[in-house]
Amino acid sequence: MTLVKIAPPLEQDVDLSKTYDAVIVGSGAAGGMAAHVLTTHGLEVLMLEAGKKLPIEQELRSMQWPYDHPRRGEAPPGSHHLSFNEYTIRKPPYAKGAAFKHVYSYVGGWSGSDYVKNILVDEKDHPYTGTNYAWVRARCLGGKTNIWGRLALRLSDYDFKAKSHDGYGEDWPISYTDLEPYYDKVDLYLGISGVKENLPHLPDSQFQRPSKLNAGEVKLRESLKKRGQVLTPYRAGVTTDGLKHNKYRSKCYGRGACDRRPGGCDIHAVFDSPTGLIYPAMDTGHLTVRPNSTAHEVLVDKNTGRARGVAFLDSVTRKSYEAKAKVVIVAASTLESARLLLLSRSPQHPNGLGNSSGHVGHNFCEHVMGPGVTGLIKELVGKPHTLDDGRPGGFYVPRFRNLKDRQPGFIRGYGFEGNSGHSMFPAHVFDTPGFGGQFKKTVRDHAAAFISMGAFGEVLARYESYVDLDPDTKDGWGIPVLRFHYQFSDNERKMAEDMVATGREMLEAAGIEVVGTDDKVLTEGWSIHELGTARMGTDPKTSVLNQFQQSHDVRNLFVVDGSSHVSASCQNPTWTIMALAWRSCDHLADEFRKGNL
Amino acid sequence: MTDPADRADSLSRREMIEVTAAALAAPLLKVGAVTAPPAAGPAVRFLTAPEYALLDELTELIIPTDGHSPGARAALVAGYIDGRLAESLEADWQGLWRSGLDAVNGLSRERHGKPFLEATPDQRLDVLTRMAAGEADPKTPPERFFTELKRWTARAYYTSKIGIHVDQEYKGNVYQRGEYAGFDAVPKP
Repeated sequence: MTLVKIAPPLEQDVDLSKTYDAVIVGSGAAGGMAAHVLTTHGLEVLMLEAGKKLPIEQELRSMQWPYDHPRRGEAPPGSHHLSFNEYTIRKPPYAKGAAFKHVYSYVGGWSGSDYVKNILVDEKDHPYTGTNYAWVRARCLGGKTNIWGRLALRLSDYDFKAKSHDGYGEDWPISYTDLEPYYDKVDLYLGISGVKENLPHLPDSQFQRPSKLNAGEVKLRESLKKRGQVLTPYRAGVTTDGLKHNKYRSKCYGRGACDRRPGGCDIHAVFDSPTGLIYPAMDTGHLTVRPNSTAHEVLVDKNTGRARGVAFLDSVTRKSYEAKAKVVIVAASTLESARLLLLSRSPQHPNGLGNSSGHVGHNFCEHVMGPGVTGLIKELVGKPHTLDDGRPGGFYVPRFRNLKDRQPGFIRGYGFEGNSGHSMFPAHVFDTPGFGGQFKKTVRDHAAAFISMGAFGEVLARYESYVDLDPDTKDGWGIPVLRFHYQFSDNERKMAEDMVATGREMLEAAGIEVVGTDDKVLTEGWSIHELGTARMGTDPKTSVLNQFQQSHDVRNLFVVDGSSHVSASCQNPTWTIMALAWRSCDHLADEFRKGNL
Repeated sequence: MTDPADRADSLSRREMIEVTAAALAAPLLKVGAVTAPPAAGPAVRFLTAPEYALLDELTELIIPTDGHSPGARAALVAGYIDGRLAESLEADWQGLWRSGLDAVNGLSRERHGKPFLEATPDQRLDVLTRMAAGEADPKTPPERFFTELKRWTARAYYTSKIGIHVDQEYKGNVYQRGEYAGFDAVPKP
């Protein structure tokens, strides 16, 4: 058996007197991919990450039993994770006036909050203002890829050409055929598990071994098939067969701890940016990484207006530095990238860098979530418990709305993520009434008999949904913070109603008794799929970037993360972020060699 | 070289044996344990000895030992709750438990004229049944306390060795060396 026993590569010394070929701000999926592709092309790259470099295996402790942790996985006294109620009733900044020493976003899973305390930002140091928003931020090497949900989906021309399909918004400046070869590259370089389904709206990947379904899921799959709908094993950004070219990652052994924690994998079978992309890029000898580097401005040349580097603070010492580079790549996450561009004001770029269109921060979109259903599969009640959760995820029901049909209440669509079977903690205990012997037996007998699924739906990109800089509030480093102007619209609310009604219908059609429905839409931001604040397009007046994520205004500035997405689709964005970044950085390297940047 | 996977496996096997031993011992421990202070487990840190004994009995009534598995007492549920209370920085929450336990005795006196632990098994069951009656919409202090008590009892029990391994017979959190367990989405021909 091969498990990861390779130490991370030694860090190279950062030489700030030198002009790097490229400086990358951010080390998540987008920044990591940019580092991988550019170093492969031989460019000398400096990566700046605001957070620490963590011994992530020690943070995650994926297989630790609850009873081996002093608080069964929960955070120590003085630490507080925000709840749905707090996000809803209060206004940001949520940590303002809090009696707790540390305040974190909601992420923690059941009894998982102690495992993310060094990964998530402390809301006390990182305030934001405006409308309600559950903004989850991970400042550490690899960012949110250290704890992501792993669902790795492709977009299709139903997404890239959505305006042509229903008239709303804008088409992307690319088609599926432009991105398909890069999705393939991402699949093969990082590993993905799944089953081919031949769907035009959810293209297949180059899959490794799929995870399996359990009895309840097979029952639902068979029933949905009769309705012309699909239930497919979770398409996980996980290497199930292993990757010969990557010495830092193990294959997946189906330990299954991934579902009861915020995510993450201490043997790195799940893709994370450090072991999947950054360490191999360091091994080329062309990548230098500087953690604890809080970028606050992209610097421009006074004469040409072109990007010349990045100003940053050492996150610990708070000393100011400048990194010089021929190309600047912003990959700080959808919202932080928009913030950095808006912070980078200069006489040539008075509204922020690359913002002559006025679209930076706008067309902000994501996924709406919360609505879902739970069913009881009667024939499984009282059956002996089997190993049901030893896999990276349960199942996915791809979008089926507004493909051929036209829904009266809403445009675009949603998919369901779900699972069934026995897991470590019988969460239904909290909904099982009573006490005593009968209560205990009921909890035991029903533990493997539930199936539940929750929907993720496309939130429409609207110019009116935006972030800007708050003129009064600054973060712990004295940097102006984001102010949110963002709320769900009627389209999302109508879609949410359909999610519940249709979920119920699906279970009932399979002969599964619906025992619970969630019709509550979770706070904006909950899906952690924020997108669209620096969108691509062909028209520099209505978009920020061209099809290669290159600024229309500043040709040596690229923004390679989710902010470039034109619409949210309902498919999870990470795989698309990486395929786009790969394509753009291939183009960038080509242009760099030709001397066009 | 130590293989972490092998270590993980043997660790869980060893723990299973320990847990099974605990399960066998549990019915013996139960006799006479109702009013006696808890035999094993962590020293009481926040609650008084009578409060602790009351909590211990309440948790065991909520999740009792049965023919299948030991209950909350064997799983040291009261000890876990007491430990969390002791280190908490939230005085309101600590107060809620103290007054909640007091309310249980209050209800017992009201209905049977004596504190909970001095009441007969039937009378105790009656008190707890009364507390649980408002579960869907708790109103009185004892009803509200029941919600909190049950939530913490369940949380502590089902994250304990006994809860996970003996009662739930959880099979996961192990290295699967070959195929994953379960069914193929597309059955092999």
